[in-house]
Amino acid sequence: MAKTILTVDDSGSLRQMLSFSLRDAGYAVIEAVDGLDGLAKAKQHTVDLVLTDQNMPGMDGLSLIKALRAMQNYETVPILMLTTETGSDIKAMGKAAGANGWLVKPFDPARLTEVVGKLIG
Amino acid sequence: MATNTATNSEQLNVQVMDLLAGVSTHGDQHLAEVERDLVQMNTLLDEAIKKLCSSFMAIHTAVGKQQEAMGSMLSADLSVTDYAARLEATQSEIKLHVGAAVTGLQFQDMTSQLMGRMAQHLTGLRDVFGEIDASDTALPESSHEALLEKLNLISGRVSARLSEHEDGVRKSVNQHHMESGDIELF
Repeated sequence: MAKTILTVDDSGSLRQMLSFSLRDAGYAVIEAVDGLDGLAKAKQHTVDLVLTDQNMPGMDGLSLIKALRAMQNYETVPILMLTTETGSDIKAMGKAAGANGWLVKPFDPARLTEVVGKLIG
Repeated sequence: MATNTATNSEQLNVQVMDLLAGVSTHGDQHLAEVERDLVQMNTLLDEAIKKLCSSFMAIHTAVGKQQEAMGSMLSADLSVTDYAARLEATQSEIKLHVGAAVTGLQFQDMTSQLMGRMAQHLTGLRDVFGEIDASDTALPESSHEALLEKLNLISGRVSARLSEHEDGVRKSVNQHHMESGDIELF
């Protein structure tokens, strides 16, 4: 059975590119349009990995990670940030919040699926 | 009395100059940021379009090669094994070019963030000018003291507006190229 990845990004085109790349690599994808939607979808589904943007309306990526890490089902689920942010301060905040990795946009599908593969097979 | 009037005029002059300098300096800063964001956006769009054109043409060429190989196989110039090998090679080639196109297509996410930031700068400028232009800031003609007080009030409001916007406009996109970004696992 295909592993499921939850992608959270307010950019429709980015979500489309992520779904295309991840489905092509054999993963099932659930899309969320922002942090709040991501949190709701994470509660509804069993997810193997979360890939989230940082700057989103409503709830940002760091807040989403903190909320997910507070949920029993998501204590150990790998969470990757995929963002335009490159600052070391915000990366450190991501790490402290519980992110497992930091990917800077734009992403290359082959490199993305390689990292995802390392984390969930 | 004459000295008092001179002092008042000087104070008034200083206050007006301060107000104008504040508006001008901050206005310039906002516009310089907008200009920088526009240049960055232009670079990203330019690279994205070049990347997409190049990927599109490369995919087209690779598909052409596949069709050519299929034609050769059908006319018995190419064995099924050779055809399968060629097909595999062109499929890998296509995958590589599709990957590059996917990277290029992500320009919308970055340019829309830059445009959002520019809009915030322009809103900041509009708010500052609106603060000066507000009807309740009509300058009193009664005395220098009243005029000074009014100018102080306007300066205070303008400064407050400016700092509100400076706090709110943070740069989240620093990319100047459409090459794929760094990956760090914690």
